[in-house]
Amino acid sequence: MGMSDDEIKAAMIEKATKAPKPQLYVKDFYKCDPESKPRKIKNLANDLVKQGELMFWSSGSTTMYARPDRIKDEEGDEGVN
Amino acid sequence: MAKHDTPLLDELEKGPWPSFVTDIKRQAEKNPDCWDILGQLELSFRDKITHWKHGGIVGVFGYGGGIVGRYSDVPDRFPGVEHFHTVRVNQPASKYYSTENLRQLMDLWEKHGSGMTNMHGSTGDIVLLGCRTEALEPFFWDLTHEMGQDLGGSGSNLRTPANCLGQSRCEWSCYDTEEACHHLTMHYQDEIHRPAFPYKFKFKFSGCPNDCVAALARSDFAVIGTWRDDIRIDQAAVKEYVAGNIVSGGGAHAGRDWGAFDIQKEVIDLCPTECMWMEGDELKIDNSECTRCMHCINVMPRALRPGAQQGASICVGAKAPILDGAQFATLIIPFIEVSAENEFENVIDVIENIWDWWMEVGKNRERVGETMQRVGLPTFIKVMGLEPIPQHVREPRSNPYVFWAEEEVEGGFDRDVDEFRKRHAA
Repeated sequence: MGMSDDEIKAAMIEKATKAPKPQLYVKDFYKCDPESKPRKIKNLANDLVKQGELMFWSSGSTTMYARPDRIKDEEGDEGVN
Repeated sequence: MAKHDTPLLDELEKGPWPSFVTDIKRQAEKNPDCWDILGQLELSFRDKITHWKHGGIVGVFGYGGGIVGRYSDVPDRFPGVEHFHTVRVNQPASKYYSTENLRQLMDLWEKHGSGMTNMHGSTGDIVLLGCRTEALEPFFWDLTHEMGQDLGGSGSNLRTPANCLGQSRCEWSCYDTEEACHHLTMHYQDEIHRPAFPYKFKFKFSGCPNDCVAALARSDFAVIGTWRDDIRIDQAAVKEYVAGNIVSGGGAHAGRDWGAFDIQKEVIDLCPTECMWMEGDELKIDNSECTRCMHCINVMPRALRPGAQQGASICVGAKAPILDGAQFATLIIPFIEVSAENEFENVIDVIENIWDWWMEVGKNRERVGETMQRVGLPTFIKVMGLEPIPQHVREPRSNPYVFWAEEEVEGGFDRDVDEFRKRHAA
């Protein structure tokens, strides 16, 4: 039996917390549950944004995900990069 | 009264062409922050480096696209552009506006932003330039609640779909591009507003092979109208063109005397596949050789029309030159029916087949055309579940070797690559 959505989300939060760089591509989360389709992982990542566990970070041309506390630590309160 | 001296930018106001510098100066009379756009740009011209920084965590709640963060790296000198975020607003299909809508939008933008615009961005959006972070949410609220409009795509999202005028004004449109664009925009709201892919993905819908939205060159997924029967010919109208009683090209070149219309020189000799000829005073076409270049139809629109069995070709993988140079899209499906009656089901099936594969196989920041190039067209066609057809072949093969997959050979064959490599190192 595969992982539940909550278990996958927990793995994604752990990945975003411990990854060397704070910003992650959606693809970086695929390994959190290799059995899940990429679209499911994308939807779970967006759920985590709604819940405030992750936030979007944009380079301008690419959008990435990050833990809010890690981005604020890096960029200051204004979020300027 | 100018806030900064801008001698280098002032040079751009000389000469016969309209100047963006003049436009910004005019807007600066209304909104003094715009003087700082000119001041910072003058500094960039002197320093030969941009003073814009981009990206960050700006956006509106719940959306992972539509806003592109812009900041000045010299905010102390140019406080008016300290924050200067770009807002992309989804344009209406075919870019039809009422003046009332445009006035409302500009009033809104002058209230919350700089008033500077770019109509339109290369993807097709209304691009609003220059907004402070704290003004984004109030602007978004007014845009969505008072105007019923929404943001477009940016980042690794589905970018704002775009289409030509289609059947609203064009007799050549082989399907309803506006309905297709609107339907798919609504169907894929999540993909437009939140990142979903390894990199950006663009749809464009052109009603005929004239391709007025440049779908072939500027979209990852181009739906270009076509027909699969014969070009419809009105021989009586052909005779009228030849006699000079109907002006060629719909009068598009009527501003100058080009001499009498010459069907041989202006139509038949310019057919790229040489599939047209005259028999007496009748125009003949070998339709099996027609590549839908549209030239003959463009020159004699009252005599020639696209065929009656209409649909679209799907081409995949165009992109701009960031990696490996620019490339046109590759023809993948020569003909597909495009119908609002089945809610564009055929097209959606193809899109989602591509997405499922690309999301898995595509590398970060790799456009689908680059993934196709990396794995090769034969692999891509196989993934799409398509049979190879002559239109997939770009040029005759130059490699004399033929490789067969096991399933392509009757009886198959056994091959242990590891065993082979023990004897023959790679």
